[in-house]
Amino acid sequence: MGIEFRNVTKSFGDTKVVDSLSLEIRDGEFVVLLGPSGCGKTTTLRMLAGLESVTSGDITVNRERINDVPTQHRDLAMVFQSYALYPHMTIAENIGYPLRVRKVNQVERAERVQRVAAMLEIESLLERKPRQLSGGERQRVALARAIVREPRAYLMDEPLSNLDARLRVQMRGELKRLQHQLGTTTIYVTHDQAEAMTLASRVAVMKKGRLQQFETPLNIYNHPANRFVAEFVGSPSMNFIDGEISAGTFVSEALRMAVNTEVAGQVTMGIRPEHIEVLTSPQDGAIAASVYVTELMGNETFVFLTVGPHRLIARAPADFRAEVESKVWLRLTSEKVHYFDCKTEEILTQRRSDAT
Amino acid sequence: MFAIAPVYWMLTISLKTEVEQFATPPPWFVFTPTLAHYYDAFITRGFGQYLLTSAIVAVISTAGALVIGTLAAYALARFELPFRLNRRLSLWILSTRMFPAIVTAVPLFLMMRDLRLLNTRVALILIYTAFNLPFVVWMMRGFFADLPRDLEEAALVDGDSRLGALLRVVLPLVAPGLAATAVFCLIVSWNEFLFALVLTQTEAAMTLPVGIAGRVTQYEIKWGVMSAAASVAIVPILVFALALQKYLVRGLSMGAVKG
Repeated sequence: MGIEFRNVTKSFGDTKVVDSLSLEIRDGEFVVLLGPSGCGKTTTLRMLAGLESVTSGDITVNRERINDVPTQHRDLAMVFQSYALYPHMTIAENIGYPLRVRKVNQVERAERVQRVAAMLEIESLLERKPRQLSGGERQRVALARAIVREPRAYLMDEPLSNLDARLRVQMRGELKRLQHQLGTTTIYVTHDQAEAMTLASRVAVMKKGRLQQFETPLNIYNHPANRFVAEFVGSPSMNFIDGEISAGTFVSEALRMAVNTEVAGQVTMGIRPEHIEVLTSPQDGAIAASVYVTELMGNETFVFLTVGPHRLIARAPADFRAEVESKVWLRLTSEKVHYFDCKTEEILTQRRSDAT
Repeated sequence: MFAIAPVYWMLTISLKTEVEQFATPPPWFVFTPTLAHYYDAFITRGFGQYLLTSAIVAVISTAGALVIGTLAAYALARFELPFRLNRRLSLWILSTRMFPAIVTAVPLFLMMRDLRLLNTRVALILIYTAFNLPFVVWMMRGFFADLPRDLEEAALVDGDSRLGALLRVVLPLVAPGLAATAVFCLIVSWNEFLFALVLTQTEAAMTLPVGIAGRVTQYEIKWGVMSAAASVAIVPILVFALALQKYLVRGLSMGAVKG
């Protein structure tokens, strides 16, 4: 089921929480709204659910304008960050609630609750009350309640953020699998870029109520539209150095490097940690740096470096060893370097779309 | 001690013969119990009738105040009204509780006379409902405000109407608060004296407090009958409060700590 936001704005008083947002979500897509807290992503979701009014613009579902349709008639299911399970009802009653209010008869209701519970492996919990459940179990119940009535779309508001790290990764996988299985359009809000990258078919990055970029995770990662997207997506974060390009050379304090780009003038250079190679012996064209500290992650090592006043992070193999303050040399993969406008922070390098 | 002593005194008076009631020193614990006053009050005199009137008036006015007050409180707690009306309306509702009740006694008497409702239960029900409303609104508004919005929003997204969400999700969760509020309203209505005195003079419409007070006459004070009737008057409230005790404690401390 297709969903479209057309120039949607939401203001609280004088502040625009969402600012002329336009998004077109195709049927069956898994779209993640990604951004830091206060970027308007949750408000966007709540407008779609009908829990917030739209100040201006249109929201359509299957080309039908739903701005003025009350929440209960939109036929969308929502999973809340707090799960919002009804504390006075058993798990079976919780899951069956959407069917009960739709006057589905008791026999069919029980059958459907049973089927969904089996799918999410929570059959043994059906007679319990929400407070007797662990976080992960509650999460499953909340999902079951959303799935049981086969809605037109799922809306998820940071559903995994209350789980511990291990469970989060596990549920993330299950969510993706579930969505694949059901094939229902899903809109998922998170501030966790890892969730966005792993789950989404397309990611919409938002900042201060404005859409920054709406593309596949791979394109977002490899071809960020601006410095904000580049910085927000990826962990550890992209490195940025302010400098000037003239005559094929990038110059900044304590750093000179030959570049192959048509961009010139004052720029911000951005490079991801995995595109910096750390060498322990000098090499032609390599940049001299010193090791600030190294962090062994097990499968790789993060090397924190200083180049004059600049601080950089590089990814090195797990067996990389270097003493603190020891001298190293850096080689940057030049075709992976991004250049951003110093003031507008927009990307300057030519954009190419990777085949997806 | 100060709370229990008058009740004990009243109970023992109601069971003593008139001679023992006025003996000096009073027989504190040992006396010959008699149910004569109870017989006198409820069989010979019309206290049964008063009791029934009191019960009808108290129950209906409490129910009325709860229904209307709960809906109003929910609206005030959840809907954003223009011109900061939420706050203004709430304060205005509270202010109606602030003036002394006696101020309204005469206007209400005239109103009820014109409406031909003097000496009827309807008059008392209307007035008690109105007087309990601000209390219900304020209590329930607080309970609703403490409830996370997520639950109602979930109910709406799940396809329920506002009223459905209120009945199926919100009210069961504030049941303890509702119970506590109900007990208070019931006590207020049950014990109300002023309006009952002003508005009802006939046996048929008289409530228990007025009936009891009526035994203080020019010629004699029927201590035995009054005590007997008052002792009986305590019972329904006591039973109701005990039945709801489980909820009462939770209701009174609701919102005190986040749970």
